[in-house]
Amino acid sequence: MASSLREKQILALKRMLNFNVPATKATTTEPQWKVLVYDRFGQDIISPLLTVKELRDMGVTLHLKLHSERDPIPDVPAIYFVMPTDDNIRRIGQDFQSQLYETYYLNFISAISRQRLEEIASAAIHSNCVSQVSKVFDQYLNFISLEDDMFTLRHQDRDSISYYALNKGDVKDTEIEHIMDTVVDSLFSVFVTLGTVPIIRCPRGNAAEMVAEKLDKKLRENIRDARSSFFTSDNIQAGQFSFQRPLLVLLDRNLDLATMLHHTWTYQALSHDVFDLQLNRVDIEESVESRTPAGGVVKKKKTYDLQPFDKFWQAQKGSPFPAVAEAVQVELDSYRTQEGEVKKLKAAMGIEGEDESAISMLSDHTAKLTSTVSSLPELLERKRLIDQHTNIATALLEQIKARKLDVYFETEEKLMGKSVLDQSLMDMINDHECGTPQDKVRLFIIALLCGPPMSDAEIDQYLIALTGANCDTSALSYIRKWKAYTKMTAAPSQYAGGGTKTVGMFSKLMNQGSQFLMEGVKNLVIKKHNLPATRVVDALMDMKSLQDVDDFRYFDPKLLRSDSSGIPRNKSPFQEAYVFMVGGGNYIEYQNLVDYAKNKSNAGAPRKVVYGCSDLTSATQFLKQLERLGSEN
Amino acid sequence: MADVTNVFKATVKALRTRKKATGDVTKNSQTFTTILPSSKLKGDFEKKSKEVVQNISKLKDFLMEHRKAYVSTGSHLSAETSTMTDSERDQIDEEAEKVIHMCQTSVALIKNLNGSQHSQVKEHRTAVIRLIEDYLKGVCKVYSEQRAVRVKRVVDRKRLSKLEPDKLFKQRRANKQPTFSENTNQSSRQDQSTSEGDRSPTKSKKATSEEKMEEEEEISTEEAQMFERENAALFEEMSSVSEEEKDIDRIEQVVVGSTENIKEGNEEIRQAMKNSAGFRVYILFFLLLLTLSLLFLDWYNG
Repeated sequence: MASSLREKQILALKRMLNFNVPATKATTTEPQWKVLVYDRFGQDIISPLLTVKELRDMGVTLHLKLHSERDPIPDVPAIYFVMPTDDNIRRIGQDFQSQLYETYYLNFISAISRQRLEEIASAAIHSNCVSQVSKVFDQYLNFISLEDDMFTLRHQDRDSISYYALNKGDVKDTEIEHIMDTVVDSLFSVFVTLGTVPIIRCPRGNAAEMVAEKLDKKLRENIRDARSSFFTSDNIQAGQFSFQRPLLVLLDRNLDLATMLHHTWTYQALSHDVFDLQLNRVDIEESVESRTPAGGVVKKKKTYDLQPFDKFWQAQKGSPFPAVAEAVQVELDSYRTQEGEVKKLKAAMGIEGEDESAISMLSDHTAKLTSTVSSLPELLERKRLIDQHTNIATALLEQIKARKLDVYFETEEKLMGKSVLDQSLMDMINDHECGTPQDKVRLFIIALLCGPPMSDAEIDQYLIALTGANCDTSALSYIRKWKAYTKMTAAPSQYAGGGTKTVGMFSKLMNQGSQFLMEGVKNLVIKKHNLPATRVVDALMDMKSLQDVDDFRYFDPKLLRSDSSGIPRNKSPFQEAYVFMVGGGNYIEYQNLVDYAKNKSNAGAPRKVVYGCSDLTSATQFLKQLERLGSEN
Repeated sequence: MADVTNVFKATVKALRTRKKATGDVTKNSQTFTTILPSSKLKGDFEKKSKEVVQNISKLKDFLMEHRKAYVSTGSHLSAETSTMTDSERDQIDEEAEKVIHMCQTSVALIKNLNGSQHSQVKEHRTAVIRLIEDYLKGVCKVYSEQRAVRVKRVVDRKRLSKLEPDKLFKQRRANKQPTFSENTNQSSRQDQSTSEGDRSPTKSKKATSEEKMEEEEEISTEEAQMFERENAALFEEMSSVSEEEKDIDRIEQVVVGSTENIKEGNEEIRQAMKNSAGFRVYILFFLLLLTLSLLFLDWYNG
């Protein structure tokens, strides 16, 4: 019965849109129209959860940005969904002054401070509209749910809390404090929305530890405050019978940099890497041949939404790319058979429609008609989704072929698994056809991090080769420094157990008649191996003792005394875990965790792992951050 | 999740008392006039749209209230009488349609009101109109579903009632089905489906058929005429078909006779050939004998 974080967030949003009255399920309720005003944080939160159509169905006639020119619309209630920053509050005061709307429902994404509340109050008094402010709410929704088991903290404002911001050389203490506070506030909102108090584990000596301490303190304060605690048993809905508390694992990005730069092979991760999947939306440039007299190829930009209600996407987002191609083919075939049935029915209907006498026949036909008519929109929707995925997959395939991403993937997997390389690294770097310069730098960094240890002379050699291939090597200097700093002698052991089997299966694919011409793209079978993050989570959940994990700190906000000694008191394995990565995360880690959870959960004990990160960084973006870090000194 | 409205209101009060304490006497009159919620003159649009929504809600409540009685599916056998006569149902239908019509005109009126306004206001009003229309559509759907159920039941009853006297005739026709091999597609399918269609309702409503006999009078004259015409057309077709059958029988017999004749003829010819072959043999033998006897006589004589 436990609904996911995402569903809870949607519920909270819907309740907010219903004027903070819990929504009842009536078949046709009276429409109550309203205007929604949001800032960019609100926009990031709402856009992956509710489509414009759903907003319309809930009665939202207009949705406007807070800092835009807005005209007065009399006699309409307005719902504000904003962060309680000074700018926003000033703008709200202005709105009061200009009497834009009839009633105001103010919903703040995170808790508003006393001082700012006074500012709003004085603005309201000043403009004589105190009676118009109907409700003021703290929504505690300061996070973005992308999937049922994945959330991030920031999208539009990600630079403020990125890996670069945390690790740059000239970072000030105040900045770090600010970042920590943001992260803690969001994590707090996550747990308020869930209604549970987790047990916190974190490694020592980095940003994650700071976050853990602050979060523990905040949770503790809130629980002690008996009057306004969020975690009393009344708040937990009846459906939640999980007697076990979840585990919150806070990890720092420095644990594992290689995963951020890894070339990937699963559908969702590929779309993120190649097409920059943002907030479940993908922009693809398609070349459409135009029939104008000028001729030539026109590049059109198309946007696709990849939403959780798309069943094909849900099933395939974690599968390796060739499986996706096959699945699209299968879907297309099944769609065609269904379409054929409908057409047959139509033909049969056409002939028999001439008869008018027997009424019984008519009722049979009307029944068939209604069923066809109702299934038609479903079919059309299916067709649209199939087209969408076909386009995305074709575009992906083109990119893969152009940049030889499959070769990169294979090589990196081998490096991470310590097997022998087919092609030496130098060859790959000097190969002009293979990939963009960034791909090469990524490959080399992974080799540096996980491959066999290289002497300085060798590294310099590679550097020369890389600069020859037009790559920006500033990131490398940072990595070398970082490696020395963290003394990653333990790193090689973390990736062991991996490896891929290359099965040259393109002949088989050709025979299957797949419409995607897969010659030259090897069908890589990914052997399941665990990334460092997954390994850590596994050890913590099962109470195993791993060398790195033993050193982790333990926080339990529910304990009366803050136990700084950090001895784990809980002896039973955890069934639910929330993994949070400070400093950026990506879909590869997410996918790995999902696979791990699936493997580990048997019928009686479903294991749930939810992945969160401060922001979703694609490899290119992360590489840029590393370059900035490297070129600083 | 956290309702801080009370905190807000408390803050407002605190601020106000603070202001009063610092002697803001000049603003007193203003605050007095604005303590009571100002009854703003609601614009035409707002008033009308709220009216329409209220009307539609009233209609919905009205329909829901009487829904159970309207759709009463009281079983035919039991003694439960439907609590609504048909005239009452018609009345409900009429009134519902009137209200729907009225709402539609009001919506059109509101659309006209939405003339030249600022873009945001216009957008808002268009969306409001759409919401009202959707709501109206939803309520209309409820109404039409109800009505569809009622019409269907009436139609079923009628079909069943005309089933009884013709039951035997149709079954006889159904038996003749397999022998016709040259029917046009239309007529055969028609027959099959009518017979099929009749068989199933008969199965399901056999128990109720006795009761339905009483409702024969309900067949309107129009429908009776239509059925008569159909019957006549069907009967003509049947007769033409039976004539063709007779022809076919005759031809078949003739053909059979001729084949037999031919067979006999063959036999006789064979016989004749055999006879002629035997006759020849005798003649030859006789001639040979004569020749031999001549030679013998010639030798004997000299």
